Amino acid sequence: MSADPIPSLPRGTRLHHDSVRGAMVLLAPEKALILDEIGAAILSAVDGSARLSTIVARLAARYDAPLAEVAGDCAEFLRGLAADRVIDLHD
Amino acid sequence: MAWKKPVAKAIACGMEI
Repeated sequence: MSADPIPSLPRGTRLHHDSVRGAMVLLAPEKALILDEIGAAILSAVDGSARLSTIVARLAARYDAPLAEVAGDCAEFLRGLAADRVIDLHD
Repeated sequence: MAWKKPVAKAIACGMEI
């Protein structure tokens, strides 16, 4: 696994705004994950071509947050989702 | 909103139940 992978949503997995819950939901076959605002912001930045470092830099600028903190949180979040097989991480 | 640790929480779906 690369230290700077390209995250992408696998086929059959998509982001959806759940109007009942008023939150973004990651829908996957046989699974759904409700996201908080930060989780939704990370996954909204996942376009299948941007590397993790690019996504982290964008989010750190948008939230005016320390790059190291954003990088650590994003990597942990995406690796957790990859372990659940609801996101792909390509080298 | 300030940056904080992101959260993704599983929702029970029909298959799992």
